[in-house]
Amino acid sequence: RWKGSECDTDSWVAYPVLSDEQSQDVELIEAFAAPIVDKKETSRLVRELNGLYPLNGLQHIKRVRAVKGSLHPLEVLVCLVSEAPDLKEASIDSLLPSGGVKHDGLGQPFVVTVPARPPLTRPQFELVRKHWPTSFHEDKQVTVALRGELFSPPQKARMHTYMTSALTAARTGSELGMEAVGAVMVDPVMERIIAVGHDCRGDHPLHHAVMVCIDLVARSQGGGCYPFDRYPGCSFQKLPDAEASPQPYICTGYDLYVTREPCVMCAMALVHSRIGRVFYGTASADGAFGSKYKIHSQKDLNHRFEVYKGVLGKQCEDLNCVDQHINNKTSQHSR
Amino acid sequence: MGTEEGRYRLSADSAEGFLPSDEEIEKWMDSAFGMAKDALENGEVPVGCLMVYNDEVVGKGRNEVNETKNATRHAEMVALDQLLDWCGGCSLDVSSVCERTALYVTVEPCIMCAAALRLLNIPVVVYGCRNERFGGCGSVLDVSSADLPQTGSAFKCVSGHRADEAVEMLKTFYKQENPNGDQKLFFC
Ligand SMILES: [Zn+2]
Ligand SMILES: [Zn+2]
Repeated sequence: RWKGSECDTDSWVAYPVLSDEQSQDVELIEAFAAPIVDKKETSRLVRELNGLYPLNGLQHIKRVRAVKGSLHPLEVLVCLVSEAPDLKEASIDSLLPSGGVKHDGLGQPFVVTVPARPPLTRPQFELVRKHWPTSFHEDKQVTVALRGELFSPPQKARMHTYMTSALTAARTGSELGMEAVGAVMVDPVMERIIAVGHDCRGDHPLHHAVMVCIDLVARSQGGGCYPFDRYPGCSFQKLPDAEASPQPYICTGYDLYVTREPCVMCAMALVHSRIGRVFYGTASADGAFGSKYKIHSQKDLNHRFEVYKGVLGKQCEDLNCVDQHINNKTSQHSR
Repeated sequence: MGTEEGRYRLSADSAEGFLPSDEEIEKWMDSAFGMAKDALENGEVPVGCLMVYNDEVVGKGRNEVNETKNATRHAEMVALDQLLDWCGGCSLDVSSVCERTALYVTVEPCIMCAAALRLLNIPVVVYGCRNERFGGCGSVLDVSSADLPQTGSAFKCVSGHRADEAVEMLKTFYKQENPNGDQKLFFC
């Protein structure tokens, strides 16, 4: 049996939903480089060029690169094309006004492309280093996460269990005529499910699964404002008083598992609730954790957190078919 | 009220054809500010919020985050719940009421509330000051007018009404709450 479930957790991979800065291609800009024809002049050239063209804000770019198999094995960045004097044809004379840098040892300049910003992830780094040597302060966790290898098999097995509960809740709700979406709030330290909820928008248009789950968490701490008890698929674990949070940031440190990417309302509700991390199965058209917005990495907001997608992605995706089926049935009825 | 005609009009049209007059704005914002002042005097978050349908207040809200331990209980969400209850009580169709309902609030709705207002197809939001930290009508994100076909319909904003007064009340509140001036939560 263990083998079987191990197999199951191999069927999906959780990938991080990174910020735009981390996931976009790094912008490239043009610069003049020149071969160093006299190697002995290298350190003087670098020093003098740093003085004349300091390449402000581009500390990630190395000034000199080694070129294998070339007549001149070293090349140096002279300046950005944008800071060069306006000229028809660049020559070393025109780039280096007399008195500033002695030209000795420099060959004919040519145009190269260099990254405008430091690379933030390994894929960005791999891309930009092909253009010009660049330094990279690697966030190892992001690198491992992008390979889909952040979570160990035991961790994945737990994630699998939690998302399975969310899937079950989604199906229970769907049988009541709700949209097939389920959500589970977990205390990852205690490895304990705090609340399970499903979409209830048939009875209240704003009761999306995430909103339901947030209110159930409030219930678990003696608060809450809706009676969800009439839904057997919605439940919460009453916490001992000692664990009830004295402040309204009730989801601090909790993980949310939700079958599909939350909408803007639900995503922002999770920001207000200071959620720890979010895991979702499948993307949604107006989703706010990757599709339309990345509210978890929005610059101006005061709470940021990690979001992962793809947990039981296939099974979560299949829920949309359940919805489709029901929609077809109801539209036939209404006809 | 809630005529068939209103029901099937496109949301853009209904927003176009449905805009409160200056006198209405004056009057209902005055009530919203009254609520905010009241809240401030009682040591509560000074945000006043009401929903008006057919010249009648059908929803009123104040922030209930602390007592419910639910961080989503912003004044707008509370007012929307009242509107839904009101529709239920009068056996009126929610969507036809919503598309002729205006929200008056002293502070720009946050991203969450703006999305909730879209989901219910509220066509007009009149607000006082901007919400620099969480605003969903342009200050942080522009949820009100964004292209989100699965998230109800875009709504019109009328902003800036007695904005300075709204800011002053918030400042007074946060000074009381937090005399040391640390970064403090913003409940709206
Ligand atoms: Zn939602
Ligand atoms: Zn709000």
